[in-house]
Amino acid sequence: MTAARLDNLDLMAPPIVKTIQRRSLIVGVIFAVLSAIGALLRPEEFFRGYLIGYMAWLGVTLGSMAILMLRHLTKGGWGMVIRRILGAAMRTVPLMALLFLPILFGLPKLYIWARPLNSIADPHVQEHLRELTRNYLSIHGFVIRAVFYFLIWGTLAFFLTKWSAEQDRPTVRDNTRRFKAVSAAGLILYAFTISFAAIDWVMSLDPSWISTIYGLLFLIGQVLSALCFAVVVERILFDYKPMSQLLKPDYVHDHGKLMLAFVMVWAYFEFSQWLIIWAGNLPEEITWYVRRLTGGWGSIGLTLAMFHFAVPFVLLLSRPFKRDVRRLALLATWLIVMRYLDLIWIIEPNFSKTFHLTWADVIVPLAIGGLWLAYFFRNLSAMPLVPAYDVSASEVLEPAHE
Amino acid sequence: MKRTPIYGMMAEFDSPSDLVAAARRTYEAGYQKIDAYSPFPIEELAEAIGFHSNAVPLVVLIGGLIGCLSGYALQYWISVITYPINVGGRPLHSWPAFIVVTFEMTILFAGLAAVLGMLALNGLPMPYHPVFNVPRFAFATKDRFFLMIFSTDPKFNPVDTRRFLEGLGPRSISEVPS
Repeated sequence: MTAARLDNLDLMAPPIVKTIQRRSLIVGVIFAVLSAIGALLRPEEFFRGYLIGYMAWLGVTLGSMAILMLRHLTKGGWGMVIRRILGAAMRTVPLMALLFLPILFGLPKLYIWARPLNSIADPHVQEHLRELTRNYLSIHGFVIRAVFYFLIWGTLAFFLTKWSAEQDRPTVRDNTRRFKAVSAAGLILYAFTISFAAIDWVMSLDPSWISTIYGLLFLIGQVLSALCFAVVVERILFDYKPMSQLLKPDYVHDHGKLMLAFVMVWAYFEFSQWLIIWAGNLPEEITWYVRRLTGGWGSIGLTLAMFHFAVPFVLLLSRPFKRDVRRLALLATWLIVMRYLDLIWIIEPNFSKTFHLTWADVIVPLAIGGLWLAYFFRNLSAMPLVPAYDVSASEVLEPAHE
Repeated sequence: MKRTPIYGMMAEFDSPSDLVAAARRTYEAGYQKIDAYSPFPIEELAEAIGFHSNAVPLVVLIGGLIGCLSGYALQYWISVITYPINVGGRPLHSWPAFIVVTFEMTILFAGLAAVLGMLALNGLPMPYHPVFNVPRFAFATKDRFFLMIFSTDPKFNPVDTRRFLEGLGPRSISEVPS
């Protein structure tokens, strides 16, 4: 049944993917050269921009893995039709592991706890850090934990890809059960690893401040970024076969509903953190928001409330909007920009009390993005867009019934 | 039973695809006041009888806005006007603290508006409906599919409409007394 449909539909990604891959690589290399020059001239600013760009693109990688595992647990045509897009994004884990190395060279420039203790003037801070660096925030611990995260993410990506590739050929083995088993464990592992990674890599920029919902903020941000990215890619592919025949309005509608849900969860987590800290008004907590709501950073916070939540929320309430892949992809692009702005708002105020952006905040994320996209589109053209011999692929491959 | 004016003309079909095809042709023939009955939902049917949009989303939106405003107003009235208490030096009108209840009231009123609005727009509860005057209509809950042209339709005419429905190849045709 499935094989018969295959004869008249080539499931490989269209040639445009190769073109985009080449262009992304050119952009990536040009901006990487500019970033390298910047790294020599202004290393502090370079590393801040690098952390923002790194977290932004890591979000698409890991978020895609999370949505993919969610699909394995819940099934549904919405996930089958973007499954290989998510898979290609997930398989950028090796690149992200490689791109993590520069951060190790910038540890003392980014993180106050990585500097020699006696170089810190304030005796209170020095005492606090002495305690922290002995227990958790040591350079050794940071590196060992990072290796551990990448091992987990890499292992999950490896098996999810290996079993998925088996379903491109006629096979007697049904992988549904093993996908389920590894995805259930994988989602739990992902929630824990991304929480710890967010604490290690971003929250520790200000070691005196803690928030217990911090990891979840990054988790939902990553899942939202990844879904928006998948919608943008499906929009690009929709102009060509085979996606023009696979992508039905019902699936786009589902992607729109998920975008609405993720935007709402993001706002819910952000608001919860803010409401609790605002209500408590304790000196060791509220400072984080005082920094981010004054000195020009406040308008960025307001922009996020309006354009990361309110406007997308209202647009996504509309049913015709959610069913139209063209309009949905425009909003998805916008939300990806908002994700980037959110990371700037989280990371940059650690270094400057007043609103302050550097060239590195723009150039370095573009450099990482160019390289990431080139690798992503290479991955995308390496496998068919749908695993034709998966038992649940027929739902997507069958033509819409009259 | 006393002979009453006609409520409409009803045709009976054997399969959902027959019903959808018949509904399409009826709509294309210019009949506007038509309805269809089936034991289970048929995706294409609403479109086939020319049913494009309904007012439920608007009712839900209005319900949600009423809930939102009343939730906020309730808290404002309590905390600022009738029972002002200084909590940790915060202003009486501390809007961040009002958001949660405002949100919950929005959802509650929107949800109630959805259920009640749907019932009202469907004219429910409805203790009497003329279609049940046709004994065969009982099969609409089992395995038969019915198409109805109401007598309020400007094109309706007992003779012509019956002839038109016969042309659709139904299993049977019944006149529905009101």
